[in-house]
Amino acid sequence: MDALVNGAEAFIQVFRTAADVFVGFTTGIIPIVVVFLTAVNALVKFIGEERVEGFAKWASQEGWAYMPVRYTLLPFVAVFMLTNPVCYTFGTFLPEKHKPAFYDSAVSFVHPITGIFPHANGGELFVWLGIAAGVEIVAPDMVTALAVRYLLAGLVVILIRGIVTDIIYNIMAARKAGVE
Amino acid sequence: MQALIEKIGRSVGGVVGTLFQAGRDAVDLCLKTIIPFMAFVTFVIGLILETGVGDAIANGIKGFSSSLGGLMIVCIICAIPVLSPLLGPGAVIAQIVGVLIGTEIGRGNIDVSMALPALFAINPQVGCDFVPVGLALGEAEPETVTIGVPAVLTSRMITGPISVVVGYLFALGL
Repeated sequence: MDALVNGAEAFIQVFRTAADVFVGFTTGIIPIVVVFLTAVNALVKFIGEERVEGFAKWASQEGWAYMPVRYTLLPFVAVFMLTNPVCYTFGTFLPEKHKPAFYDSAVSFVHPITGIFPHANGGELFVWLGIAAGVEIVAPDMVTALAVRYLLAGLVVILIRGIVTDIIYNIMAARKAGVE
Repeated sequence: MQALIEKIGRSVGGVVGTLFQAGRDAVDLCLKTIIPFMAFVTFVIGLILETGVGDAIANGIKGFSSSLGGLMIVCIICAIPVLSPLLGPGAVIAQIVGVLIGTEIGRGNIDVSMALPALFAINPQVGCDFVPVGLALGEAEPETVTIGVPAVLTSRMITGPISVVVGYLFALGL
């Protein structure tokens, strides 16, 4: 009988702990995300689509000189303004041969951006939040610093991804053209 | 005068309407995506914390997550072109592993300095399932998609480990 009670106790304890964590997330995360989402949604609407598109056309030009813009600033603006998954439509403005690299760059940014701008990818917050929740316990004052560094490191990583994918795409395209 | 009042009224109405719609979209996203996923994640956390599963996983993960080399191995495995599209969808795997590693960081089993490289190590597969759709959204030609998909997947084998190193460097002095 005791064993049964202990078992039941242990069983229900899983859900009690889960519920505690849930309450913590609800009060800690939800309010700020809702307010932030509202502000950014409004900001995006006020800035307007045309202005964003104008920027995208400028930023997606061909050539090595535009690489840092094409694979850092452009994905940042795309993900920030249009959010996942609409951000990939910015590929439209790019020359055909740069589209895979831009996609690679943009998609790699949808998580690093969530540390500071959770609106950009509301459905996949827990890549960041899962790890941040642990850091919050051991070093609460480090979470914001970590979020900023995640964003900056993300920008460096997407630039590298854009460049490497560009090179690999060119090699593969040339090889295919050679075969035909 | 009347025209002025009308104009002011109209623009204020427009601003308020936009803000209200923005709020509605925000709450919608919260209710339909964020909270359901939160429920799922907190259940996993409860399970990890209260059952022996946590310790078993901790031992498994700890070996990989407490050193740069271990994270590299995790990253390279996740970036294998055959696996990466399978691990990608909805970033579910990355989110669960994120929660697992986060929980271990919270329990003091993994050092905080590993948080940033870990964020990149668990995620070299990001969007690998979505390449054709993503390219289609960018109005790419079918030809571009045929070459673009293997190009992105191959690229991740190289840029995955690099991203872990970048994360490690950015975590220095934290």
